[in-house]
Amino acid sequence: MIQATNPLRIGLRQERVVSPQCLVIFGASGDLTHRKLVPALFELFKQRRLPSEFALLGCARRPWSDEEFRNKMSKSLEKEIRQSPKEWEEFSNRLFYEPVNLEHPEDVIKLRSRLEEIDKIKATHANRTFYLSVAPKFYASGCKSLAEAGLLKDPIRSRVVIEKPFGRDYRSAQSLNRIVQNCALESQVFRIDHYLGKETVQNILVLRFANTIFEPIWNRNYISNIQITSSETVGVEDRAGYYESSGALRDMVQNHLTQMLAITAMEPPGHFDPEAIRNEKAKVLQAAHLANELEPWKCCVRGQYSKGGSKSNPLLGYRDEVGVDPNSTTETYVAMKLFINNWRWQGVPFYIRTGKRLAKRTSEVALTFREAPVHLFDAAGGTPTSNQLILRIQPNEGAEFKFEVKSPGSGMRSRPVEMEFSYDESFGEPSDEGYVRLLADAMLGDPTLFTRSDEVEAAWRLYTPLLEMIEDSPWQLPTYPYESRTWGPTQSDELLAKDHLLWRRP
Amino acid sequence: MSPQLTLQTPLQIPPQEIPGYLQKLWSQDQSDNKGANTFCLLVWHPAWMEQKLVNTGRINGPVIGVQRSDLIEEARKIVLEKDLPHSTPPLDKEVFNSFKTTNISKQPEDLRGQHIDSAISQLQPRRLITLAPNLEQGHDLETLVAAYCPLPEEGGDNSACGDVIVLKGDRNSLKEGLCIVEELIPEDLPSWLWWNGSLDEDPEILSQLALPPRRIILDSALGEPSHCLNVLQERIKSGQAVNDLNWLRLRTWRETLAMVFDPPNRRDSLSNIINLDIDIQGDHLVQGLLLASWIADKLGWESTLEVEKEGQGYRTRFKRPDNLMVNFRLMPLPLGNPSINPGQIIGLRLICQSTKNEKVGLCVILASESGECMRLEAGGVASMELLEEVVPLQNSPAERDVALLLESSRGSTSPLLSNATPMARKLLNLIESQK
Repeated sequence: MIQATNPLRIGLRQERVVSPQCLVIFGASGDLTHRKLVPALFELFKQRRLPSEFALLGCARRPWSDEEFRNKMSKSLEKEIRQSPKEWEEFSNRLFYEPVNLEHPEDVIKLRSRLEEIDKIKATHANRTFYLSVAPKFYASGCKSLAEAGLLKDPIRSRVVIEKPFGRDYRSAQSLNRIVQNCALESQVFRIDHYLGKETVQNILVLRFANTIFEPIWNRNYISNIQITSSETVGVEDRAGYYESSGALRDMVQNHLTQMLAITAMEPPGHFDPEAIRNEKAKVLQAAHLANELEPWKCCVRGQYSKGGSKSNPLLGYRDEVGVDPNSTTETYVAMKLFINNWRWQGVPFYIRTGKRLAKRTSEVALTFREAPVHLFDAAGGTPTSNQLILRIQPNEGAEFKFEVKSPGSGMRSRPVEMEFSYDESFGEPSDEGYVRLLADAMLGDPTLFTRSDEVEAAWRLYTPLLEMIEDSPWQLPTYPYESRTWGPTQSDELLAKDHLLWRRP
Repeated sequence: MSPQLTLQTPLQIPPQEIPGYLQKLWSQDQSDNKGANTFCLLVWHPAWMEQKLVNTGRINGPVIGVQRSDLIEEARKIVLEKDLPHSTPPLDKEVFNSFKTTNISKQPEDLRGQHIDSAISQLQPRRLITLAPNLEQGHDLETLVAAYCPLPEEGGDNSACGDVIVLKGDRNSLKEGLCIVEELIPEDLPSWLWWNGSLDEDPEILSQLALPPRRIILDSALGEPSHCLNVLQERIKSGQAVNDLNWLRLRTWRETLAMVFDPPNRRDSLSNIINLDIDIQGDHLVQGLLLASWIADKLGWESTLEVEKEGQGYRTRFKRPDNLMVNFRLMPLPLGNPSINPGQIIGLRLICQSTKNEKVGLCVILASESGECMRLEAGGVASMELLEEVVPLQNSPAERDVALLLESSRGSTSPLLSNATPMARKLLNLIESQK
């Protein structure tokens, strides 16, 4: 029987340890806290990456006690607690709760004294990370309240983590940045994008910059186009309220897909330093633009899922979902073509697509290389296939490289084969959830995997022509219906067909 | 990056005035700056070989307390000149004792404690206290103090500063000066002792400096092996956080070996190991025993109470959880031009029997060089699936390894080390009983 864990691997990883501190989560009664944040912190605790001088203070409007908070959190971790009851007991002793309404200054003053009390009990040395897991409209007021209470005064010992979405468009992001930067230094602000916490997204950096074979061909001379896909099989589920006002463009493209684009297309940083990496990401985003900014409908397709599924498992259309306007024009699918105006990428199209209720759940970056200049051999499939490098973000994390080989037999016909790397096969163990990495990094004060103000603004600016058009003349960018569990509207295929290309079928 | 000197010339002040001086330094001149909120590092820094080579004019001064290349080169020359075995590590006691001290009229400048390696200064220590014993007798206690701010290129842009204190003198005067050390260690910060010398010497000073809960950094390759393992085990047992540089240098071996068995289809072979061979450079057995003990601990092997001498090496057996035996052979090899770190592992071979799923046995060879690889390939492994990896020897400067420990320590001994040490000790006892 194959052992589930490599016994020689146990205890081998030398992870950085968080320094003594208190993590304060605003919005502690919310979904994110019990589904992602507390499980991630418990995982860190089990991995011995949290110091003994650690405390978590949950804050929300509900009048819970410490004990109630601990009980609520334990419910979403039942399975893990069964496996590690002792660890949970130790960990839960570090959980505290304080009812706080960030819009009530007196609550924030009260919070300050609670934090001082926790500093004494848990020796957290006034070292604090404030996590704003609240509705986006409270980001600005939250930061202001913290600053007014003097809780962000120490630039070394206080940090603030802000969830996505950071703004609704370029202007709102800019104004939110101004407010936040008036409250704290940029080095104290950690804008989270959980995609950057994924091992496979970080692996793009390693694959590109730790190997010598890829970088020389990672440019317009060898690459003909790049497709970035993030598809989900699920619908809007219980997020209709939020999704109706955001849509796929704001929910996925502006942040997650744009970050994948930036990491795929950025120049090599001089050294592995947070600012060096973020400088390169910001630069490439500043150089990116829609393929046709004046007539965005020519380079962008929006779609909305309609009903589908089978008789035994029928699926509702978006407009029939609970909480969705029956006449909604919110896009659940978006595909677009971008260019990057720099020496490396001039003329190489980047195709981006994302959607809900698509045929398969997947996230990947596919780089298609140029065809061989002369076709010496007949291809078994009719035409020779271009080389492709596919970086699979999820699921089945890994990478594959497609290339031509001689088809067995007496002739000289070529056919494509695949060379595979799979995280599962090579490492055999699941990697940590993105939040585990990002929470640890934020508490360590390492901003490498967080987006800087200029990156966020550049990302919003990139999509401004689309957002303005959706706002001002939505009929020019209609939402085409597509059947649930298909690969989106046919118009999206036409977008590539104009360039004599096809979307990759992952 | 080259080591950095303190920006101001250290001030020589009497020991009893240091606490007052430091208080004044931080409260008056730096009213807004309370100094880096990091750690205090106490260093026992004899640098005997460097002192002797500088004193005899074989290398140029000043004495800086760093394992610089001219120092190593000169020590290697002495090995040849004095007809010592070519396998003698350059900083070995034998090399030190093989040449005479000549009295020179002018004492060379001694910058130990003021010459801070950038790997350490990047971590922005709050206080560095160096005890720098003089090789010659007749030196009174001398104490130097300086404020220290890392340069911007060292990550000092946050201007979290610290201070440097140096205590110099001969052994006796330093012993007298030890009483002020505790007073100088900030209570609210983690403190570390780096014992940058042999574990055989000055046990009293070690005991006085390594007071719990202070974290200790030592090197179990420096000193007589059984004494090294005793110190390691005693300190771990007492609950102190012990960080061993010799164990740290094993990290690439541990990582590479674990990497071999990461793919799930190889995991079965781990339960079917029948042979483990480890080759080490020279005859300092500690590193080899620690690696074998780590493997044994992870795979649930128990030590049997038998050891045989086999040529230069030793042979013993472990009992697997399924009660079958694993043959373990530890082979010290006398190699020319050895590493500065005694007893470094240069090769490892694991032989796994064929299983139901794997029809052919597996032979894993990790070696630091191709010659060693070929040596381990001998002995009927041709019929097996052969997996070879190169593991470069760890020769990074001690300062960099210390910085790595300072940065990554959890404030407790690595459970891997604390589990491996008792078995390594037991194996060494058995080996010594054979000598």
